[in-house]
Amino acid sequence: MKTDSLRRSYAVNKFITYFFLILGALIMVFPFVWMILTSSKTVPESMQIPPTILPAQIMLDNFKDAIASLPFDRLYINTALMVFFRVICAIFFSSMAGYAFAKLKFRGKNLLFMVVLIQMSLPSQIFIIPQYQMVAKMGMANTIFALVFPGLVSAFGVFFLRQTYLSIPDEVGEAAFLDGCNQWQTFYKVMFPLTGTSVAALTIFTAVFAYGDLMWPLVVNSDLKMMTLSSGLSTLKGQFSTNFPVLMAGSLLAMLPMVVLYLIFQRQFVEGIAGTGGK
Amino acid sequence: MNKNKLSAAARREENWGWIMVAPTIIGLAVLNLWPFVQTVYASFCEHLGFGHYRFAGLDNYVRMFQNAEFWKATWNTIFFCILTVPVGIILALFIAILLNAKVKFKGGFRTIFFLPLVCAPAAVAMVWRWIFNGEYGILNQVLGQEIQWITDPKTAVIAIAIVSVWSSVGYDAVLLLAGLQNIPKTLYEANSIDGAGKIRQFFTITLPMVSPTMFSVLIMRLMASMKVYDLIYMMADETNPALTDMQSLMYLFYRSSFVAGERGYGSAIVVWTVGLILLVTLIQFWGQKKWVTYDI
Amino acid sequence: MKRIPRMTAAALMLALLLSLAGCGSADGKTHLTFQIWDVAQRDGMQAMCDAYTAQHPDVEIEVQVTSWGEYWTKLEAAGESNTMPDIFWMHTDQILYYADFGILADLTDLYADEDPSYYQNHFSDISVGNASGTDGRVYGIPKDKDNVVLVYNMEMFDAAGVAYPDENWTWDDMMEASRKIYDATGKYGYMAYNDEQLGYWNFVYQNGGYILDPETNLHAGYTQSATADAIEYYVNIQKNDWCPNQNYFAETSPGTSFFSEMGCMFFEGSWNLLNELKNFPEMVGKWDIAPLPKCPNPASGDGYGTISNGLCYSTAAKGRNLEIVKDVLRFFGSEEGQRIQGESGAAIPAYLGQEESWSTVFNTFDYVIDVQVCYDQFDHAVQYINNASRRKWKSNAADEMVKVYAGSQDIQTGLANMQALADAYDTTN
Repeated sequence: MKTDSLRRSYAVNKFITYFFLILGALIMVFPFVWMILTSSKTVPESMQIPPTILPAQIMLDNFKDAIASLPFDRLYINTALMVFFRVICAIFFSSMAGYAFAKLKFRGKNLLFMVVLIQMSLPSQIFIIPQYQMVAKMGMANTIFALVFPGLVSAFGVFFLRQTYLSIPDEVGEAAFLDGCNQWQTFYKVMFPLTGTSVAALTIFTAVFAYGDLMWPLVVNSDLKMMTLSSGLSTLKGQFSTNFPVLMAGSLLAMLPMVVLYLIFQRQFVEGIAGTGGK
Repeated sequence: MNKNKLSAAARREENWGWIMVAPTIIGLAVLNLWPFVQTVYASFCEHLGFGHYRFAGLDNYVRMFQNAEFWKATWNTIFFCILTVPVGIILALFIAILLNAKVKFKGGFRTIFFLPLVCAPAAVAMVWRWIFNGEYGILNQVLGQEIQWITDPKTAVIAIAIVSVWSSVGYDAVLLLAGLQNIPKTLYEANSIDGAGKIRQFFTITLPMVSPTMFSVLIMRLMASMKVYDLIYMMADETNPALTDMQSLMYLFYRSSFVAGERGYGSAIVVWTVGLILLVTLIQFWGQKKWVTYDI
Repeated sequence: MKRIPRMTAAALMLALLLSLAGCGSADGKTHLTFQIWDVAQRDGMQAMCDAYTAQHPDVEIEVQVTSWGEYWTKLEAAGESNTMPDIFWMHTDQILYYADFGILADLTDLYADEDPSYYQNHFSDISVGNASGTDGRVYGIPKDKDNVVLVYNMEMFDAAGVAYPDENWTWDDMMEASRKIYDATGKYGYMAYNDEQLGYWNFVYQNGGYILDPETNLHAGYTQSATADAIEYYVNIQKNDWCPNQNYFAETSPGTSFFSEMGCMFFEGSWNLLNELKNFPEMVGKWDIAPLPKCPNPASGDGYGTISNGLCYSTAAKGRNLEIVKDVLRFFGSEEGQRIQGESGAAIPAYLGQEESWSTVFNTFDYVIDVQVCYDQFDHAVQYINNASRRKWKSNAADEMVKVYAGSQDIQTGLANMQALADAYDTTN
């Protein structure tokens, strides 16, 4: 009797779970499908009412136009390098600071943390001109360093990792201390390894944010060859204005390496997030 | 006990504390705080051109507070936050729970939900702009309507909000999933033996345990939504009739400072926005005592 | 513990190496940067640079394209911190701002040795005007000149049995053709969208009105009856069912619409014609250009008019390589330099007599559009509208027009508001 109702509620649960997962998945995937379909159409085809779902013929011309207009190989490399360095910096500096803010006692701690909070409230547009001038005066405009510059430190990283360290019980640190570790060793040998999941999440967040940075690369680097994928793509809009098929083709090309990498490594990627869990 | 003198150990701890936060704080001060100080100063000035300012007292603020367009932008921003933050977080939590459950093709579903993360936001905005197109957008075709999503004042903010939630729900779910994964299974098992139902478990175990992560996500989402600009920039044209009905405070800043060259006035808008964000954040930090539990 | 320092060291090394990748090489040559915003003209600009460096091997010039949206933000920031590119394009909308603040080098006497009246002898008044500051001195080498033409779809005209536009066309002819073509084919007629240079400015001047008064260029004329009537006429074009409303245009530009064969006529700038031939190869042979239709009953004047703009090459007053750059600029403004630009199809050279070099590229297409129209229209050209204070009120004025098109305010109120905005800055000149 009890097992019957249990089994029924179990089945209902399962059904609901699958239903929403599939619905959600469709909503997530639909724009991509639409992007792929549109990139193969001609301009009139893409503007038809009622809309044509499938293109009359696969138009590779759009892709040719997009490739001719953007140096995709350079864009991929620049984006990869920028993301890589920003992630390294974020993890390195923010872990240290996050740990210190969470676990160490020092004068001025709260005041300095306010600095972090204030930075997070500031909109990034106000940094563009001053940071550009700093980079230009250093003679470093139009370089990879310039792309990385705003991401050398990460206030959000500090905030996020501080949350993580706060949730690690103090006893863990105290035990390490008793074992003879000094503050740095406690941090590096004991605490830092426990934050694997969060560091992975921070990596993703930093990477996504860096990847999506539109205005900064456009302002600080003057050559298309030194652009990132996102900013390079937005220049396509200037040239092709509302020629959507070409814009979609360009977008697909911009996304392709990331998606491929992601699909290949998605197990590690996702498992890294899901992680070993537990403490 | 002499409170002014720290023990040697405490001083060591303090030194380490300062050393470890130093790179970040110095970086933030130079890269971000100094420009902000410059912005605050500029808000009390009139920009004559090329970085030359003339002190103008509260003129910019007076003008700003009397400007209907400014108040509309403030409301647009708040409305946008209301649409994206609660909805976004609830959806993300829901998805994270679904992804955490025992389902087949779990890997496949996770892959799909995380997909928007790897897309260039510029591309995302372009596709959605296409989908929302009033004349031949696919959404209108499917719904059988003629809604001018992006050019109608009534629906413009909603359209932008939909794109925003769509883009970010995946990675909010990432973060929440990390939080969920950190909950030891033993807690649930112990609780089940006591005869608690699934819903009850959600409120007594899941929610409290994931609340620190939820708090991070909340702050992050809230701040991002209040600063929204890129999305509007990519989706709306300068001649969009609904521009004043959908522009956020930061978009208004962009138009004032970069398009019209009125950097003083633009700076005042920034100061106001930052003030709002700080206020809202402080409220959240105060409120966290009520619902966020650390270290059970 | 050892891993971190090693990793850090490696990472820092990499970073240093990569950042150095942006530095110039130490080969004894002078490296100049030349910044433009139109990627379609890059080859033309590079051709000019190559011609110069062929004769001056100790100089290297790199053409860099920054997209329009960020061009001015960047240039202004660079101007503030004195890190400007060596040579850059300057636009009429911005030149007064830069020149009046002393950012640009004064180029008035660049050709003094050769010919004291070089500019007046080789460039039209409009071209020199577009390259001058408020003080009348020349701050840029005139690069090109353009005007606004009527683009029309011959197939649609044929389908409706309407004669092609010619130099006798008036506004009434255009309206009538639109009506006939729409009735016969269902395609849109003349697509009049919310724009100044490619839209109502032309109508205003054809009607004998003005945006800024012709004598002093200081006072706005939005509420002058000739101006107001023309703008009202233009805005009301959208009331016809053969013209889409502004909501449509906010999402689809007239150009995209035209080249998707949704409409049969629109106003286009001569600078875009080559691009459109290249980007839409299946449309070649289906369209051609004509002079702008004139005003049938102008309040004053002969009813003709087209807005003519021109870019110029400028350099920073405090640039590091000023003397060498000036030499390069001398070449850019010479007959040879201008001809190379024209032949590349980049734009119509500003140099008098060299205009027709622009036709070279158009002759390579299967169907040769009637570029003579562009040359002839210079006889009726009106200089692009700008003065020192305009940049302070122009975006607010544009907002007023957006409201008019959105229907949230009527035209008379909108025009009165625009006039008030301009007047507010009038006295602080």
